[in-house]
Amino acid sequence: MKRKNAISAVLAVTMLAAAILPGCGANEDSGKTEIEILQYKPEAAAYFDKVEEEFNATHDDIHLTISSPNDASTIMRTRFVREDYPDIIGIGGDINYSYYVDADILADVSDYEGLADINPTYVDILESLEIVPTEGTYGVPYVANAAGILYNKDMFEEHNWKIPETWTELIDLCNEIQSEGILPFYFGFRDTWTCLAPWNALVVGLAPSDTCQRVNAGETTFENEYRETAEKCLELVSYGPDDPFAYGYNDACTAFANGESAMYPIGSYAVPQIQQVNPDMNIDSFVMPGNDDASKNTLNSGVDLMFCVTAACKNKDAAYEVLDFLLEDENIQAYIDDQNAIPCKTGDFDLSPALDGMTSFIEAGNMTDYQDHYYPSEMAADAQIQTFLINGDVDAFLQKFDTSWQRYNRDIIREVQKYNEEHGTEQ
Amino acid sequence: MKRANDSKRTYMLITIPILALFVCFNTIPLIRGVIYSFTNFKGFGTYDFVGFRNYMDLFTDSRIGGSYLFTIKLAITATIITNVISLILALGLNSRIKGKTFLRATYFVPNVLGALVVGYIFQYFFTYILPEIGSALGIEALSSSMLSNSKTAWIAIVIVCAWQSIAMNTIIYISGLQTVPEDVYEAGDLDGATGWKKFRYLTFPLIIPFFTINMVLCVKNFLMVFDQIMAMTKGGPEQSTESISYLIYNNGLSGGSFGYQSANAVVFFIVIVAISVAQMSISSKKEEQL
Amino acid sequence: MYEKMKSRVNWPVTILLFIGLITVAFPLYMTIVIAFKQPSEMTNSIAGILSLPKSWSLSNFAQAMELTDFWHSLGNSLMVTIVTVILCMLLHSLMGYAVGRNKAHSKWYNFVYLFIVSGMFVPFAILMMPLAKQTAEMHLDNWFGVILLYVVFYMPMNLLLYTGYLVNIPIALEEAARVDGASTWRTFWSIIFPIMKPMHATVAVITALAVWNDVMTPLIIMSGKGSNTLPLAQLTFQTQFGTNYNLAFASYLLALIPIIIFYVICQKQIINGVVNGAVK
Repeated sequence: MKRKNAISAVLAVTMLAAAILPGCGANEDSGKTEIEILQYKPEAAAYFDKVEEEFNATHDDIHLTISSPNDASTIMRTRFVREDYPDIIGIGGDINYSYYVDADILADVSDYEGLADINPTYVDILESLEIVPTEGTYGVPYVANAAGILYNKDMFEEHNWKIPETWTELIDLCNEIQSEGILPFYFGFRDTWTCLAPWNALVVGLAPSDTCQRVNAGETTFENEYRETAEKCLELVSYGPDDPFAYGYNDACTAFANGESAMYPIGSYAVPQIQQVNPDMNIDSFVMPGNDDASKNTLNSGVDLMFCVTAACKNKDAAYEVLDFLLEDENIQAYIDDQNAIPCKTGDFDLSPALDGMTSFIEAGNMTDYQDHYYPSEMAADAQIQTFLINGDVDAFLQKFDTSWQRYNRDIIREVQKYNEEHGTEQ
Repeated sequence: MKRANDSKRTYMLITIPILALFVCFNTIPLIRGVIYSFTNFKGFGTYDFVGFRNYMDLFTDSRIGGSYLFTIKLAITATIITNVISLILALGLNSRIKGKTFLRATYFVPNVLGALVVGYIFQYFFTYILPEIGSALGIEALSSSMLSNSKTAWIAIVIVCAWQSIAMNTIIYISGLQTVPEDVYEAGDLDGATGWKKFRYLTFPLIIPFFTINMVLCVKNFLMVFDQIMAMTKGGPEQSTESISYLIYNNGLSGGSFGYQSANAVVFFIVIVAISVAQMSISSKKEEQL
Repeated sequence: MYEKMKSRVNWPVTILLFIGLITVAFPLYMTIVIAFKQPSEMTNSIAGILSLPKSWSLSNFAQAMELTDFWHSLGNSLMVTIVTVILCMLLHSLMGYAVGRNKAHSKWYNFVYLFIVSGMFVPFAILMMPLAKQTAEMHLDNWFGVILLYVVFYMPMNLLLYTGYLVNIPIALEEAARVDGASTWRTFWSIIFPIMKPMHATVAVITALAVWNDVMTPLIIMSGKGSNTLPLAQLTFQTQFGTNYNLAFASYLLALIPIIIFYVICQKQIINGVVNGAVK
């Protein structure tokens, strides 16, 4: 009998403990408008904590909460399923954004005045991400990143190497670097997503930026558009380490940081990871010269973080006030200093020295979005590119890319073609 | 008679509430999941019913086929390796040895190390250390990374899976060995049974229930392998290590084909249940025989 | 004579086990060394990675503890793990007993057994979205809901373990108690439950380990509301484009300690359970 009592006691206590715990998070109702931001970059959590604190200290009528949880994409999806929408979400400009617009989760923010200060290139990038053209704007671009080729500045100066502006110059440079016994590139292709870095940087210069939309509309195929990119990408890999598929992203960052290669085709986002290993390293970057006509080159840049007001947000004006605060110059400057990012707002900002080689393109607005922002992730374009770079079979790769595109994009293609029938093809 | 009724009622009173809890949080969500498998649900927003389209697609999807082949190959190999080693280890750790607590605690460590750590260390091992050893010994096959070759990457995954799961299977075998009474051995000693014979005819029959448990758990864990794939290869090279769970998670939850991958999950569930029921009924027949 | 046999140490096996330990010791050594190093000491050369850190400073550990809000997260992890383990031991052993004693002669209990055990094979991914919705509707999007779900998720495996163990417990034991007039309920708690001690310890270890390392359940059930468990907090070391391995390894080493201590305690229980051998 004693034992039984003891067990029920334990059971009762545990139940009680578990029941009390959720009580801790009770909401205090202060009469203020509550605005909640859920953003997907946990690495910037410290920055957003500070913004939240400053905002609340200066605003009496709005109470702002910014959460920067780990694995925010899973959290967003589970919250959407429960129809428990945050007021503002911070996401990247990729296919998820396209899906969210299509699912009517986001609100039109074209009446937001702050949009006027945003670099129009980035607003256009968001527009073209929409599956079918919609009226209105559904996101406020905040910061961008860019991909090209990072290089070891000290090494370049020591050997007097010049920044290439055309494909031929790049290949000549690679040969020259190789002849001096230095490895031109490092790759970390074991992490499949890194295969997309040189791919994206090349494809923006070699294929039309609306390739994916035109394929969806049934006007062209990837076999037509991607051949040159595929061949050049394969050529680049031959200037990398013997077995690039053995190394991961982290291995490649470490190797580049330790001076094992002169260049590293990756995005600006890799700079903090490289500097973690070698804080004194002098890194600069240049735009991938995919063409032999330098004027055709364009910087591969896309929206890394944007803020979208959800359709469920009850108080849009308060949300705009929060956006105003986030878009204040000093806040943006603090963010780009912290995260090595490119601002989407026009104005005078100090960029990281690692982006020096790209500034002229940014200023001229000569930027093109990552093509992989249009690739559905379940198609595993990165894995297909990895497979292709291993076996080198251009034809098989392009055919597979086309067939799997048709398969995974089936619903989108149907939607696009239905839209085009109803509205007539534009242009 | 009253007694029999009392115990019958008690058994029912125990079973019904717990079963209800299980149905509420396992069966009902599963049924909802099965409903999604007939839709083109992306994981959010609206969706349409598409009938059996998802199921028809499964059979023409070469990626799904490849993932089944890889997963089954991995599960069989890893199950055998894990069970053989953990049984030997359990026998060793259960015998009269010095430093028992220390040894048992250390052999338990692989089970606790987080996937990030395991991933980093084994990637390092396969990328840098093993090729170095291979070329030092002049073994051609080992002199390049196992992870970059689609013919060998799955073996690396098997090694990591086995390394991590041996600890848990060993615990189960050790607890099984506790049910073997000392006098069985004493009787065996009198009969002059030694080594392999003693194990085969005295110990093993008594721990068959634990063997069954371990087989089922292994098959389950390895068929559903996910963490090790994410930590080691992310499905590469050449998509050769995409496990079924990897596709379900990555395409269904991170990607936009939740409905399709739900159909994959449903078929997968049926396949594993079929395999496990077959396995359990074979082993329970064995239990009866012995 | 029995005593004498017990004290004889099996040296060959001991030595073999210590040799085998290298498969664990080597990765563990790497983990420890990396946990003490600074990011700038990371290289791709074997000698470099295996070398001892320049200084044995605890700064990585301090920083990792700060980043994960260690004591708070540890408290949450401990709470969830302990409550789950206790509930699992009580409920699942009871269920294991009711099902295990009847499944051989009753179709219903055999069905219940197979029904629950097959729940083990449901891919979690298919349950995630429906569960996220369902728990929110039932206002269970909190720790209580997380614990409840753990009790359900580990039921199949624990049922398998308990019923498997029950096979080796002779029915004669209970019958003796029943003759003395004890009810089935009493018989279970006074005779069967204590005798299952080694299995309780095993279940405790396996369940605790699974709960301790789990990320997905609290992530989808609480959706970032409320505070983190340790593994959730540890995700912070791994972002899209960068991982600080040194801090992460320090943090993982810290998270390793409580569970190893727990395991060592449970191990003693598994071994002390030998008594039942005498019963047979």
